[in-house]
This record gives sequence, structure tokens and C-alpha cells, in this order.
Amino acid sequence: MAAVDLDLLQGTLDLLILKTLNWGPRHGYAVASWIRETTDQRLQIEEGALYTALHRMEKRGWLESEWGLSENNRRAKYYQLTSAGRKQLRAKTAVWTDYAAAVFKVLQTA
Amino acid sequence: MTRLPGLKRILRIERDGAGVERAVDDELQFHFDMTMRELMSSGLPPEEARAEATRRFGDIQRTRERLTTIDRSRLGRERRSEWWNAFAQDLRYAIRGLRLKPSFAIAVILTLGLGIGANATMFGIVDRLLFRPPAFLTAPDRAARLYFARTFRGKENVQSYTGYRRYLDLKEMTTSFEAMTPFYSNDVAVGSGEATKEMKVGISSADLWKMFAIRPVIGRFFTASEDVPPDGSRVVVLSYAIWQTQFGGRKDALGSLIDIGPAKYTIIGVAPEGFSAFSPDPLVAFIPVSAASSTMGSAKNPWYSTYHMTWFETFARRKPGVTAAAASADLSHAYQRSYDKEVEANPGSTAAKIAKPRAFAGPVLRDRGPKEGNDAKVATWLVGVAAIVLLIACANVANLLLARALRRRREIAVRIALGVSRGRLLMQLATESLLLAFLGGLAGLAITQWGGTIMRKALLDQTDAGPSAFTDPRVLGFAALLAVAAGLLTGLVPAFQTAREDVSSALKAGAREGHVHRSRFRTSLLIGQAALSVVLLVGAGLFIRSLVNVQNVRMGYDAERLLWVQPRMRGTKTDSIQSMQMLNGMRERAQAIPGVEDAARALTVPFWTTWQLSLYVAGIDSMSKLGDFTLQAASPEFFSTMGTRVLRGRAFTAADGEHAPRVMVIGQSMATKIWPSEDALGKCIRISADTMPCTTVIGIAEDVRRGSLAETEMHYYVPITQFQPQAGGLFVRTSGEAASRTDQVRRELQKLMPGVSYVTVTPMSTIIAPEIRSWKIGAIMFAVFGALALVLAAVGLYSVIAYNVTQRTHEMGVRVALGAQARDVVRLVVREGLRVVIPGVVLGAIIALLAGRWVAPLLFQVSPKDPPVLVSVVLTLIAVAIAASWVPATRAARVDPNEALRAD
Repeated sequence: MAAVDLDLLQGTLDLLILKTLNWGPRHGYAVASWIRETTDQRLQIEEGALYTALHRMEKRGWLESEWGLSENNRRAKYYQLTSAGRKQLRAKTAVWTDYAAAVFKVLQTA
Repeated sequence: MTRLPGLKRILRIERDGAGVERAVDDELQFHFDMTMRELMSSGLPPEEARAEATRRFGDIQRTRERLTTIDRSRLGRERRSEWWNAFAQDLRYAIRGLRLKPSFAIAVILTLGLGIGANATMFGIVDRLLFRPPAFLTAPDRAARLYFARTFRGKENVQSYTGYRRYLDLKEMTTSFEAMTPFYSNDVAVGSGEATKEMKVGISSADLWKMFAIRPVIGRFFTASEDVPPDGSRVVVLSYAIWQTQFGGRKDALGSLIDIGPAKYTIIGVAPEGFSAFSPDPLVAFIPVSAASSTMGSAKNPWYSTYHMTWFETFARRKPGVTAAAASADLSHAYQRSYDKEVEANPGSTAAKIAKPRAFAGPVLRDRGPKEGNDAKVATWLVGVAAIVLLIACANVANLLLARALRRRREIAVRIALGVSRGRLLMQLATESLLLAFLGGLAGLAITQWGGTIMRKALLDQTDAGPSAFTDPRVLGFAALLAVAAGLLTGLVPAFQTAREDVSSALKAGAREGHVHRSRFRTSLLIGQAALSVVLLVGAGLFIRSLVNVQNVRMGYDAERLLWVQPRMRGTKTDSIQSMQMLNGMRERAQAIPGVEDAARALTVPFWTTWQLSLYVAGIDSMSKLGDFTLQAASPEFFSTMGTRVLRGRAFTAADGEHAPRVMVIGQSMATKIWPSEDALGKCIRISADTMPCTTVIGIAEDVRRGSLAETEMHYYVPITQFQPQAGGLFVRTSGEAASRTDQVRRELQKLMPGVSYVTVTPMSTIIAPEIRSWKIGAIMFAVFGALALVLAAVGLYSVIAYNVTQRTHEMGVRVALGAQARDVVRLVVREGLRVVIPGVVLGAIIALLAGRWVAPLLFQVSPKDPPVLVSVVLTLIAVAIAASWVPATRAARVDPNEALRAD
């Protein structure tokens, strides 16, 4: 299956990051690898865009960051959800599910 | 997740710009290292791994910049919200603190409010007199009021009033101005029937509309073609206010007629709200000068072609790029040419060589120019006085805050010990004093609003409420500035006190110790307050004595018991015989009114009108070299009506009629000026021309003050039957105070007026009031501010002494235990109060003596070093000091040694 161009799906990256961080604090590299592995590399995400999204969401107050130690004992910046971020995740998930269901329904009738 | 022990330190690094970039780099570096490790562990050689990692990431440089920007703006916002949170917390803390001590809060807010209110009030007035240009004026920096100077008897006399012929000359002969207009305002009867009221009307040429950036609300303004001598067009532009109140703001008011003075005018437009041209008072309407002046002058000397009538001021705007000096030079040149034309037309005039005519473009505001009024001078002084009151208020507030800070030493020491940073603590104290200052500023605005109305009425003689202090941006800004300054000034002292605080000693010591060295600063505040109070009270004393002197000065007539009655003809032309008959009829009718003692016809009114004629006396070359002689034409009852005493000779009688020999009564100073060594009685003076028959001096009257309260005038009287003036009215003498009879007399005499003509009645005291006003204001304001200062100083002294006494309860207890009598303790405390006040009084007296030099010109027959004033002020202050220390002193004397020694 060909890789999906993520630009087509606005806000998807934010949702993926929020979902990823829902499991607990992670640094940017972990977020990137987790998305890649979970989607079996079917989603091509430019990592630069990923970091931009992380910082932007931090500014919006959905995420907060702290410096911590990584698995291999290096200094890394960890992100975690704030309560505002958790609320965003719930809202965006609902919208996405509805959207996908609607599109799927249309496709099935054809 | 493991947290670094140095977490805080790292975060703090991130707070500045370089920190943000470093954090972004660190984060990205970590990402790359991890990616490389992963790729290499799956077998890629380093070169390919690097290429793959870069590909996955995208544009590194751009991302880096983007992340930095995002983080910076996030940090900025966080820092701001942190600051606001701290501020909000401080504010809550401060409000809670004030609510716990409401009496303290009210004392501080009221004190500051009075200080700020006094200043904002004075600012509002001085701003109007000296700084604020007229509303809507275009290019105020280029607008000017024109002044004309002539030398007379070696002295240059500056005048702003001029006449139409001169205005035409100047307009034609100058090139520096793009607009020039006559302007004056006049009390004119507006409306008809019952609704007729005297109101102020603005009179100008069409250039007026060019000088203001305004458009008519409806209709249009009048044009130059409607303002052409001799009659002009009777068109009127209404003020917004009268359009609203009398025409209901209806558009169809345009085209309708309104009675203004003797004529009907067609309404052609409405000026915008708040427009009053160059007048400081509101005006109801604006009419062309040629329409307003059409009844002035005589057939021989029409108003527009004579140089001998002056009745308006001239305003002009320089062309852009023309300097004030160049415009004045141009104007001066034109004035000289115009003066040459005047001499040509009137060969008798003083030659230009002697008169040295000169003109200049002065400031638009009269009180900024050479003819500034006493009111503006007094107001400027009062600004200084108000500033002193504010200083005293600040000293008191600083004192209160300091006392409070001392009481809170322990609390503050505990907080410092608990780790609150001193900077944070200072911020918190500053927040508290700024909050107090803010509330004080609000109280001050309320006082300004209330005091401003009273002051405008008293000082500017304006009855309108004026702009609200809460909405006037200039007054608001000024009050805010004062509040912030006062907040900082009063907050700094206790703040520094706190910053110095030694934690351990404050925690260890009891409340009793550690006050001694600190009270030195409070003592010097008290000395300053006492000194300033002395200065203000001396000022109050001097002005009050001036006012008493002014009111006791012998005017030469009984102003309090006189009414001036003036008939205003409207719609009917009367010749001189008719008008004389009418005035005689009115005089008789007036005498019959109950409460009226006498009535007399007269030509001129003191302080309002003067009449001068050329006089010729045998043996004297030039009478004009001796000074100005002013004329009164009067009926026989005049002297008894006015209360002017005829010292020698006789007053007029009915026998001194039109065809009888010409006679006159002259004032004493005129008699001694003309005939220093001879008896003036029986002498001959020729009036108007030296070919006229003799007018014989038959009486010598006491001197009168009619142009200035400070000096008498050389004045003479001729029988009104022998002079037969066109103008004039009646003086009515009442048995009691005249002002209360105004309406009664007006109603009675109005019955005699033909058609729509009407009569105006003005108490003489109203006519004199503006002359006395500056002293009255000075006396009232200095007294109010002085009393305020005294109360503030007394409260300050009381609070400090009371505080010290409570601090010394222990010591007092020891003294009493060792056998001190109550009397000794009282004396001890009172002496402490005096030790503070006496240096202050001495200092204040010295300042008052030094400042006296400048205030002297504003006083009336009082020396600025007036001993009774100085002595009584000094005694008052000492008495107040004793009173203020008395209460704490008696409290100290009642100390129970047992309790005092056991406590603490």
C-alpha cells in the first residue's frame, strides 16, 4: 500500500501526537518512532513538521514539557498532555470517528 | 520519567533568548543521535544513515527557526501571565490588608484624595486660562490675538481692543495672515416676549469660520458677502445648545427668525456642540459684525470708517511657514501705515513720532498675553499652594504607611525568613501604595468634580457645570500622574525601610525596641509639614487682610445700595428728546417704588464705561499731560443717590438747566491737580474746544474709584440737561441692600417700556464683583488650603506622638514608678511635640518672608511681612501642636506602672 500524504488530512498530525502522548510522557523521537511503528510506516510524517506541531501545541497549552533522562541516560525533552490537551484529544477523536464513519458509509454504498 | 536534580536551573536558562535556541538545538540533536543509532544498528553505514535521518526530518534550518519563534512567544506569554498572577496576588493581599484596617485605608485615601483633588481642580482652571486652546481651533500654534501698543506720556500702553476701520486697514496691508477676524461677545437680549433673556452672542466676520476646524451641524455659516458695511445681512448661526433647547433640534429651524438685540435675524445654520469661538464662556449665537454694529456710530462718523471707536479684539492665523516674529513685523508695519492714515483723517491726533505705534501677534489666550488678568495670577499661585497641600498630604500618608510598616516588622521579617524575595516584597508594598494612590485619585476626582464647579463659578465666573472631571482627558491624565507620583513617593519610604530590615533582630526584639532611629525621618517629615502649613496660613492671612481692605475701601459711592438701570430700545427709533422724557419718567416712577430712597439719571457706570472729552484751562498748555479726566453727566439727585459727598460748594439743582449758565462739579484730586495752590471753586474750564463758553466749577466732590479699586480717578460731573447724551440710564438707591430689590425694580420699570423694548437692572455690587474676585478667591482658597494643611499637620503630629507614647509605655511606667507626677509626664510629651513643631514654624516663617516679595503685587494695601498675620499664624501653630500632643500626653500620664512594667 502506498504511503499517504499527510498534508491532505488537516489536524491529523495533532491528533496522532495527542493520542501517542496519551500513554504517558515521551520525547519527540519516541513520538515519531511510535507513530511510524504503529501505522506500519504507512503514514509518511516529516519529522520537522512533527516537532513544529509539538512546540505549537505546547504554546497552546495542550502539552507541557520537561527535561528528563532518556533510556540511554541522555538529556531529552519529554512532552506530556495537560488537561486541556486531554480534552482536545477527546474532542478531536470524536470528530475524526464521525468523519471517517461518514466517508466510509458513502464509500460502501457505491 | 526521571527528573534531573538541576531541573529548575535548566529551565531558568531557557528563559532568555539564547536559552531558547540552545534548548531547541539540544532537543533536535538528541533526535538525530537517536535516529542515527537506530539506523546504524539496523546495518546502515554512517554516511547513508545520516542521509536517511536528514531526509526523514525535512528542512532542518527552517524547522529550527520555527521552533525558536514558537518557544519565544510561548515564554513571553508565560512570563506576562506570571507577572499578572503575582500582581493579582499582591492586589488581593493589599485589598485584604486594607479591609482589615478600614480606618487606616480611609484616612490615607481621604488625605490623598484631598491633595490630588485640590491639584486637579486648580489644574483644570489654570489649564483653561493658560494652556488649553479654544475648542476646534485650527493650528493653534499659528493662531494669534493681535495687540497694539502706543506710547503715551513716555509710557507704552498695550491694548488688544480695536475698531473696524483699523481691522480693514490691517487686513488689506498685511500679507502674513491667511485669516483675520474681529471677535467679541456681548450680552444681548435674545428671543421675544416673556422668553426674552440676556445671553452672550458672538460677533465676528466670516473669517471666523476659517479659523476653526468645524462644519455646521445643519445649514451653513455666514459668508464674507453677508458681512459688508454699513448694515450686513441679519443672519445668525445658532449654538448647538440653544438649537436643542429652544428649537428642539428641529431641522426646520433653518429659515425662521429670532430676535437678537434690536433686530430680527434669519437662522442659517447651527454650530457644533461645544463651540464658543474665542470666548471662554458658552455663546448662544454667532452673527456678522456688520449686522451687530449697524446701529453704532453716528451719521458723521459711521462705525466702519472711524478710527475712534474700539469695541472688539482681532484674531488671526499666520500662513504656514511665516514665523511669529515676521508676522508681528508685518503687522506692526501695517499698523504704522494705518496710524498715518488716522492722523491724516484727524489732524489733532498725536504724531506717529511720539505715539510710536507698534503691533504684534500675541498668544490667543488672553491670560498668556500682556493683558493677563489678576485671576490668572492668583490661580497660578494657587497651583503652587495646591502642590504644597499635596506634599503635606503625601508626608502624612508616608508617615501612616511608615507607622504601619513598623507595626508589621515582625510579619515582614517572618516572610523574609520564609524565603520571600525582597524584590517580591517591595513589589507587594509598592502594589499596596499604588492601590491606595489609585483609590485616592478616584476620591480626588470626585472632589475635583465638586470643587471644580464651585471654583469655576467663583474664579471664572461661569455658571455652567463645565466638563466632568471624570471625562476630561487632560484633568484625568493629570490626576493619574499625581496619583502615581504620590503612590511612589509615599510607597518608597516604607519600602526601603523594609528592604533594610534585619531579619534576626526584628524577630528577636519585642515591639518596643528599635523605633528610635527611625522616628528621625518621621520627625523631619513633621517639621516640613509644619513649615508648609505656616507658609499657607501666612498666605491666607495676607489675602484675608487684602480682602478686608478691599471691602472697606471708600469707593466714593455706596455700591451696596445702588442699582444700575438701563433701558434697551428695540424696534422703535427714539430721538434724544423722547429718550430723555422716557428716562425722566422712569426716574420718577423708580422713586415711587417702596424701598427706593432716590434715583438719578447718569451717563456712565463705574468699571463699565468711561467718557473723556478734551478740556481746556487758561494758563495750562496741555491738559492731557496732567492725566486722564473722566466725565459723568448727571441729574441733580445724583450725589444724594450715589452717596458721593460734595465737600465744598454745591451740587446741581433743577435750576442748572439747558439754558442756564454752564456748571460743573469736580473731584478733589482733579481740583488739586489743575490748581495746586488755588481754590478751584469759581474757576473756568472749557469743554470739547477752547472756543466753547466757560463751564464754571461750582462744587468739589470726594474722589471716586471707578476704573480700579487701587486708585481714585480724576473725575468731573456736568448737569445731564446741559450735556444731553444719547446714552445713559438710572442709578437707583435702595434703603437696604440693593441686590435683593433687582427684580422688583425691573418689573416696575418694565411697565414703562414701549413695545418690545426692555430694561436691565444690575446691582452695583455685581459690577464691582469681578474687581474684588481675585482677592476673594485668594482669601478663600488660601484659607481652605491653609486649614487643610493645618489639619493634616495636626493629624500627622498627633499620630507620631501617640505612636511614640505607646512605644515608650515601659519608660513612662518606670518614670511613674520612680515618682514622676502626671504633670511631669504631660510636660515631657508636650515638649516633645513642640520640639518638632517649633523648628518647622521658624522654617515656615523664613520661607513666608522670602516668598512675600512675589506675592506682594497681588495684595491690597497689606505688606507681605504684615506682623499681625505672622504672629497669629505662629501662635496658632504652637497652640495646635500643644493640642495635638495633649491627648497622647494625658494618656501617657495615666500609665499604670504595674502593668507597664509587667507587660512584654
